[in-house]
Amino acid sequence: MGLVAAKKKVAEILNSIRKDGRRELMEFESKQVLAAWGVPVNRTEFASDLSEAVKVAREVRYPIVLKITSPDIIHKSEAKGIKVGLSSELELRQSFGELIDNVRTYKPDAKILGVTIQEYLPPAREVIVGALQDPSFGATVMFGLGGVWVEVLKDISFRLAPLSAEDAREMIQEIKGYPVLAGIRGAPQADVNALVDTIQKVGQLVHEFPEITEMDLNPIFAFDDGKGAVVADARIILGEIK
Amino acid sequence: MSGEVKAIFEPKSVVLIGASDGGGRSVVSPAFFHSLVHNMLCFFKGKTHIVDLSGKLEGAIKNLNLVPKGRDLAVVVLPPKLVMKNWRKLLDRKVKAMVLVAGGFDQQQREELARGATKRKVCVLGPNATAGAINPARGLCATLERGLMPSRGGVAVISQDGAVGTAILDWACFYGVGVSKFASTGDGIDVTEADLLEYLTRDKETKVICIYLESVRDGRKFLKSIREAVKKKPVAVLKGNTARGEGKRDKIFAASLRQVGALQVGDVEEFLGVADALAKQPPMHGDRVAVVTNVGGPAVLVADAISREGLALARLSDKVVKKIIGKYPDINIADWVDLGIGAKGDQYKFILEQVLSDPSVDGAVAVNELKLSFLESEDVQAVAEAAKKSKGKPVVSVVMGGEDCTLVREALRGRDIPVYDSPQKAVRALGALRSYGKTRARVEG
Repeated sequence: MGLVAAKKKVAEILNSIRKDGRRELMEFESKQVLAAWGVPVNRTEFASDLSEAVKVAREVRYPIVLKITSPDIIHKSEAKGIKVGLSSELELRQSFGELIDNVRTYKPDAKILGVTIQEYLPPAREVIVGALQDPSFGATVMFGLGGVWVEVLKDISFRLAPLSAEDAREMIQEIKGYPVLAGIRGAPQADVNALVDTIQKVGQLVHEFPEITEMDLNPIFAFDDGKGAVVADARIILGEIK
Repeated sequence: MSGEVKAIFEPKSVVLIGASDGGGRSVVSPAFFHSLVHNMLCFFKGKTHIVDLSGKLEGAIKNLNLVPKGRDLAVVVLPPKLVMKNWRKLLDRKVKAMVLVAGGFDQQQREELARGATKRKVCVLGPNATAGAINPARGLCATLERGLMPSRGGVAVISQDGAVGTAILDWACFYGVGVSKFASTGDGIDVTEADLLEYLTRDKETKVICIYLESVRDGRKFLKSIREAVKKKPVAVLKGNTARGEGKRDKIFAASLRQVGALQVGDVEEFLGVADALAKQPPMHGDRVAVVTNVGGPAVLVADAISREGLALARLSDKVVKKIIGKYPDINIADWVDLGIGAKGDQYKFILEQVLSDPSVDGAVAVNELKLSFLESEDVQAVAEAAKKSKGKPVVSVVMGGEDCTLVREALRGRDIPVYDSPQKAVRALGALRSYGKTRARVEG
């Protein structure tokens, strides 16, 4: 998709969210935006009930990931709203009800729209790319490794958008946890070039669409060098309409 | 910005406006007005008009309407109430630029000032520009601190806060760091840091631009003006208000400075230290630093600092080692070049010249300890000579000690070599030169 077409597509999605009176995109909607913008995401399809889920899963092909879709659940894994690596229709049928129950227990009044059936990604090193609008400087991109690196150690780097490839590379190398990506104890390097590309694209996206006030791609699976990086979960939030 | 910034720094004529008698209520404004009048009469080379609204100062103009129109710069030392009362009259004088020194204007008043500035095309610095504006080359000393006039040099200083700005000037006088231009921006209703950056980027006397900030206005414009500036000269920034707020925003500020090629410093002393080096020495184009010393221990500390700064000790080439040993067989060359405690100026000069001619060296630290050696402060002139002849490689001198460092600084006042009282500061200065070297390499592609 060319830039003009991509812009049009993203604007369409964002407008439809606005029309719904919402500011927060569902995971599958966020991934639609990213995919339109050329950021690799794992295939993610929405299903409103079990029979639809079964049908969609056949298209996506097993193994799959099953995730809850609810505007009231921000941390899906905390709510036990994720099942990873379901390998058959039987497993999907068994897990579906359990998943809904888990979420109901976690938050009884949560509005549940359905689930997403997602392409399963093999294990990889996990990173986070985020974006925000800084009050002084505007569109800003954030990078860090997944898990404790960001949450506990606050090991993150920032750059203003849009960024050059060199800026993106610097922000990857700047974090203390960088050796994890460069490869320690005989592990090969992660696909840093693919991450550079993702960071740059995220930068362009928030630069072009300042109404995106927050974006969280967490996690992104960074595969070994040459094998790419794929967004496994994503959250996009739009600003208040002025 | 509404007018021409040039009139702030390069006026031919200046109008000083204040009230020498606060009517018993305020003593602050009158006292500062007296200091300002003193400073301008003492240093300014152009024409000065003095306006005293309380009518008591002998020889001063009593009525604003009697001030000749179209002068370059007006410096106004009046409290907000009096400024607002006389605002129309002040604008009617048709000056090119105005410095509003006093602070304490409310939002509504600031907006009125901004409207007037735009409408009448007057370039307004302030209000709350408490440390005013200084240009040593023209003897412009429009500041409230009596007699505060730094020597002429290459360091330009912009400070949002008057007291921090004055402290920077105080250090500049103490270290003998020459200043090209100084301005305090205060509330910045008209002239912003970005406007001053544009002017200072073009200013031939300015070799390095130092900015103290507490808040960023129009962040993108500010960064754009830095991006332009670093193509010509280095920019160093000290940011206040970083530790108490949200850590994320400070990280973003630091990252954005890095992205545009500005250098961030942590305190006023470091500010002056790196600015002195950036004004006097060329950028460093590699990481390899040679250390030439007359004593052992201080060189060890320099070497430690080099490693902490992310730089490396240089390994001299065989050719250069042979040349040095050929002339001075007793000199010990290992991690650094140890001249021994008997070293005098001529030895420093010859050896530094050899070291700096070595392609495997990117810059040098000269350790010049006076105590426990036969070196005297005058000998350090040799380091300045060698630095002058080095083509494009920076040299800094370190005299670890308080009194001795002051002695050497005095001896080298006016020479283009920065002198530091600790290994840490000297190496930090080289680190700044290295960082600017990288920025230049990047912008020149």
